[in-house]
Formats: sequence, structure tokens, C-alpha cells
Amino acid sequence: MVLRGLAKRFDHKVAVAGVDLDVPAGSFYGLLGPNGAGKTTTLSMAVGLLRPDHGQAWVLGNDVWADPVAAKRLFGVLPDGVRLFDRLSGAELLAYHGLLRGMDPAVVDQRARELLDVLALADAGRTLVVDYSAGMKKKIGLACALLHAPRLLVLDEPFEAVDPVAAALIRDILQRYVAGGGTVIFSSHVMEVVERLCSHVAILAEGAIKRVGTIDEVRAGRSLEEVFVAVVGGRTATGEELAWL
Amino acid sequence: MALTAAVEAPPRAVSARHFARLKLRITANSFRGQPWRIGLFVLGLFFGFCYAAGGFLAAAAPGLAGSPDAALIVAALGGGVIALAWTLLPLLFFGVDETIDPARFALLPLDRRTLVTGLTAAALIGVPAAATLLATAGLVLSAAALGGAGALLVEALGVLLGLLLCVAVSRAVTSAFATMLRSRRMRDLAAVLLAVTAGLVGPLQIAVSRAASDTDWRRLLPVAEVVGWTPFGAPYSAGFDVAAGRAGAAAGKLLVTVAAILLLLWWWSRSLESAMVGAASAGTGKAPAREPGTPVAALFPRALAWVPRNRFGAVLAREVRYWWRDARRRANLITIAVAALFVSAMVNFGSQIWGAPATAGDVSASPGTFTLSMLFVGSLAAATLANQFGYDGTAYAADVTAGVPGRVELGARAAAFSVYVLPLVLAIAVAIGLLVGEPGWIPLAIGTLVATFGCGLACNSLTSVLGAYALPETSNPFALNSGAGMARGFLSLLCLVATVVLASPMLLGALLAGDVWLWLALPVGLLYGAGAAVLGSVVAGDVLERRMPELLIAITPRR
Repeated sequence: MVLRGLAKRFDHKVAVAGVDLDVPAGSFYGLLGPNGAGKTTTLSMAVGLLRPDHGQAWVLGNDVWADPVAAKRLFGVLPDGVRLFDRLSGAELLAYHGLLRGMDPAVVDQRARELLDVLALADAGRTLVVDYSAGMKKKIGLACALLHAPRLLVLDEPFEAVDPVAAALIRDILQRYVAGGGTVIFSSHVMEVVERLCSHVAILAEGAIKRVGTIDEVRAGRSLEEVFVAVVGGRTATGEELAWL
Repeated sequence: MALTAAVEAPPRAVSARHFARLKLRITANSFRGQPWRIGLFVLGLFFGFCYAAGGFLAAAAPGLAGSPDAALIVAALGGGVIALAWTLLPLLFFGVDETIDPARFALLPLDRRTLVTGLTAAALIGVPAAATLLATAGLVLSAAALGGAGALLVEALGVLLGLLLCVAVSRAVTSAFATMLRSRRMRDLAAVLLAVTAGLVGPLQIAVSRAASDTDWRRLLPVAEVVGWTPFGAPYSAGFDVAAGRAGAAAGKLLVTVAAILLLLWWWSRSLESAMVGAASAGTGKAPAREPGTPVAALFPRALAWVPRNRFGAVLAREVRYWWRDARRRANLITIAVAALFVSAMVNFGSQIWGAPATAGDVSASPGTFTLSMLFVGSLAAATLANQFGYDGTAYAADVTAGVPGRVELGARAAAFSVYVLPLVLAIAVAIGLLVGEPGWIPLAIGTLVATFGCGLACNSLTSVLGAYALPETSNPFALNSGAGMARGFLSLLCLVATVVLASPMLLGALLAGDVWLWLALPVGLLYGAGAAVLGSVVAGDVLERRMPELLIAITPRR
């Protein structure tokens, strides 16, 4: 995925101010940043959910905004803060996403069953997604993104509110996916996850990329958390306040 | 930092004033940044005031007119109805008014008495309480006119006690059922009930006014006397007992009221704890059955098993499931159904309803007015589609990322909507045709309805793409009314007018073509409607292709 000069402002607030990013094929890319840095906005612009004020985005050589039909076939998205069609059961939702992409119904059936089994969602049966727990919702969202076997996965906060067992399962799936030739870019603000999984990382703060490169280049010998705090700024310790606590 | 071992001073008492201020602050903050909500609130205040003033006059009238019997009836039955409304309506609106949900106080160290007094105080501050007080104040005037100062004092006391009783009964009942009411299924059921009620408001008003002018109200006197002794009617009829000279009975009624209030408050405090800590149940308690069949087969309802399994079919199947499973959509569907039935009846039987009762079968209807009524029904039936994307909210992102072509999307949505509404519309056509006494006009009705419905689908599809707006993410299925009122009301009105204009050729046919139109209307109407719908989906679909991200922003509710 290649982003050039993506920018977006909402009324008076500049959410993203000119982001350039190169995600190499086969990499496990982490997009780090504090809350409100513009990670979700950037990724939404890159996948065709939000029209950028300026800038362009390419996925595997296809311009997302000039030729959306070709580009959208190539990637799968797990958006953040976006509802699923939660009045469907898990299996119905997967079937819907599969058919929506023009897949063959038999293939959809087979892959959906496998995904539901692997992600331990098969026991949910006919429960509607609206009644799922937060972790289950993330898992079914991931399943929807994986169903059509895309070459690129764009995941927004895939580990948020997910319990360790489910997180380990998702990690395993993603690592196998990258080992098999896929590319993953995901956003997070949890250091440990990014350090463990990613081959490349970009730190986004106040709508602009502050540091970018392979994980070793960015870390430069320190821990990722130190680099992050140094780049982003902000208070990490109290002084003499809260004496009554 | 050192944890101080002891608290410096004993905690100050929490009084009811804090709760009252909390409620006022929450109400004020809910307006912040959204000026149209203030406008809506003022509008609600205005209407509440109008109804309350009407109630005031209705309550005061019998006394001022000098009729003690009528006054007693109005007091006992009217007061009883008000108290009943206070008991039942909060059950339906429970999920809505967060300022009174006791669960919010579960973590605070408040004893029961403080909570009860505080929540009562908070409940007394609000439009319903004020409206009730205003309406029942008319009874005070009525009693004063009949019985002088003594009756006035007693009735004033009764009115105040009555308000307290209403509040107590509503809180006690909602608290007792709170855990049950929090479950999603109960809220969905409540939405359905509210929808039916909303649709019936019009017919009910008319039925009541007819009944009021027709029946002999003296027959209600014994009933009123009985109700006057129940806690529902006791506080309101006490003053009239003083006016009639029965001071002992008045005192007894006041005592009954006070006892009822105390009992309700005690019951409320008992159930308060379970109401506060009861968890919201998620779905049914029993283990869900294993998904039968394949996932794809599960998506398509049995009735639609013949639909092709492609993108069109997928959107169609999802929409069909959603129109039934989503509480908001279902509520709107039901309201429109009831309203459409009512409108068609009104136009055809208007003279019967408003004027003197006509003899059966004596209905004068012409093909012209009949067609006109069908036009109204058809355009109203399609109106729910006007903000169809708003119901989905951000879930529409799934369709955007999958790159569903606009024509497919809109065509499938319109088709799914028709699956529900078309049979309903046809049933109305047949029913009205039979009621009017002209079964030969049924093909005309069907043709006109289908034509109008098709035009309505086209217009509303376009409106749903261009004029979409976000629906707030609350559990209240009727929160859609808090959209930016004027502009959107105007847009949907414009859409209705456009539909009627587009379908007007059918009306012209009915007026000009004479008898041949009676059987020509059916094929012409079917073709016209189908053609309009297809054309509409093509035109609107092309607009949608260019506007997908903008539409997504428009329907995303503000956090």
C-alpha cells in the first residue's frame, strides 16, 4: 500500500496533515499513535471509506479513488468504531460478506465454516452479533475481512477489548497470513503487541508521521515505549500533586 | 503519596436537592452543541402546555358549569386515566430517560431513603409532571366553584397528593420490572407496542370524540364513584365530596391516597436494590441452537430460497432480515402500516366519520376519490424508505468496502422493502374496495397502488441517497424524531408530493377514461409502477456511486 500526501480536515480541526507511507508487500506494518492522532482517519482514507481532501492511495498498484472497484477486491478491512450488521447471526454475516464480494456460494460456505470453527465462533449458533461479547465481535469482523482471501489486510485496532486467548488466536492467524505472503497493516496504541508482531512501524501524532521504518531502525536500541513517549510528548509522572491519595 | 488513614470530616448529607440539580444539569447538557434539540424541546414544551391547558379547561368546565355529577365523573375517571398513563407509559419508555435509571447510582454509598427521596424529586422536575399538575389544577378550580374554600383546599391537597402518587407508582412499577425491561428483547417488544399505539392515536382520538358526543354520560356515574375510591381516583375526587357535603368520605379518600403512596414508596425501596444491580441480560437464557444448514442458506429466508446467490441476492436477503429484526425499522414499518390504513379509511369514509352517522352501505364514492385515496396510501407506504441508510448507520461501511454497485444496492433494498409492504398495500386495496362496496374497483385499486408505490420507491431511493441523516444510537426506537426537524420534514414532504405528482397519470386515467379504466388500470398500473421503480434505482444508483463516502459520513452518528 502506498499513501502520498493524504490530508483531511474536519471543520476547523486538521485530522491528518499530509501523510506519506510505503507499506512493502509481505510486511507486518504497525501504525502507532496516541488517541486522536489520526490513525483511523488515515486508514479510512486509504481504503475508500472517507474522501481525502488531498492526496492519493494505491493498493498493489491500483489507485483506490480512481478505480475503486479493482482496488477493493484486493484488500480486506476491519474498521474501528464501525458497527457490523449486527442483526444477523455470525454465519449469516459471513455469508453476506462473501456473497457481497461476488464469491461462489459453495466457496463461501466452505470458508465460512472453517473460519467459524477456527475462531471458536461456531458455538454461537444462531445468536445475533449484537449479543456477542466485544472479543467475539472483533473475531467475526476479522473473519469477514479474511473471507475473500485478500492480499492486504487493513485492521484498525484489532486487539482492542480482546481477551488474551482470542488475542493469541488472532496473532497466530495474522502471523501465518504474513508468512504465506500476505501484508498486514494495523493500528494500535499498545506497545507490546506492536513490538512483538511488527516488522515495520510508523508513529503518527497530531496527523503527521513522526518516525517510520523497520522496527529496529525506529527503536535504535531503546524500547519502543521510550521512543514513543519521546516522540509524542506528554506527561508520564506526577510531581507533588495527589498527596492526599 | 501517603494514604491518609481516616477521612478528615464526616461526609455531608446528600439531599434531594442534589438529585434535582443533577437532573437539570443533565437536561441542560443534552442540548449543548445541538441547537435544534433546544428547538425541539421548546416545541415539546409548547405542545405539552397546550395539552395540559386543554386538560385544565376540560377539568374546570363541569365545576364552573355547576354540575356536580359531571365534575365527579371528570375528576374520578380523568384522574384515573392520568394515573394509569403514569403507570404504563414509563414502562415503554424505560430505556429512554437515563436521568432516572437507578442503576447509575449503584456504586454510590447512598442509603435507601436518600435514593428514594432524591429520585422522586428528580422525577417531579420534568415536563410530564408539570403538565400533569397543570391539567389537574383545573379540578381545583372546579371544586372551588362548586363548594367554596373548603373544597378548594381539600382538592388542592388532593391534586398534590395525586401527583406524588403518579410519580410513586411509575417509579415503583419500573423498578420492579427493571431487570426485565433492560433486556434487548423486551425493549424490542416495547418498540412494537409503541409503534402500534402511535399509529392508533389518530383513530383513537376520533373514536373518543364520537363516543363523547354520542353516549349518555350519566351512565358513567356509578363507575366514577367506584373509581373515586380506588387510589387512582381518590385524591382527585376528594374535593368534590367536600363540595357535596360528605366531609368524612373526603377525609377517607385522602387517607387512602396517603396509604397508597407510602405503600408504593416502600415497595419501590424494596425493589430498588435489585433494580440497581440487575445485569442487562443479553438475549435468551437458553443455549442457542446450532446453526442448521450452511451459512449461505441461513442468510436467505425460506421464502426467498429462489433468489440468486449473487450480490443483489445478498443485499436483498440481508434487508429482508433486517426489516424484521431491527427494532427501529420494525417500529416504523408498523406505524406506517397503521397510518396508511387509517388514511385510506379517512379519505373514503370521511363524511361518515365527521358527519352524522350514515346508514350502512350509503357511501358515495367515485373512482376519482377512490383513486386519490389510493395515491395517498401508496405514497405514504413508500415513505419509510426515505432514510433507509440512516437505519444502518456505520454498518453501511461493509457495503462500501466491498464495492457494491449503487444500482444493485438500491434495487435490492427497494425489492426487500416491497417484500413487506406490497402484500400489505394489496390487502388494504382489497379491504377498502370491499368496504366501499365496489368489489369491481379492486383491480383499479391494485393498479393505482402499485403505480404509486413504484413512483414512491423511486423518489424515496433518491432522497435516501441525497438527504440521508444520522439516527442517534439510543435504544429508543423513536429517537429518529430528534433529527433537525424543519429541514428534514420539508424534504420528506417534498418527496411525498413528488410521488403523488409522478403517479398522477393514474388519477387522470380514472377521471377521463371512464369505465374502460376500471380494468385497464391494473396492467397499466403494474407496468408503470415497475418501470418507475427500476428507473429510479438506476438514476439513484448512479448518484450513489459518486457519493458513497459522503453518504457514510452523513449517516454516522456523532459521538
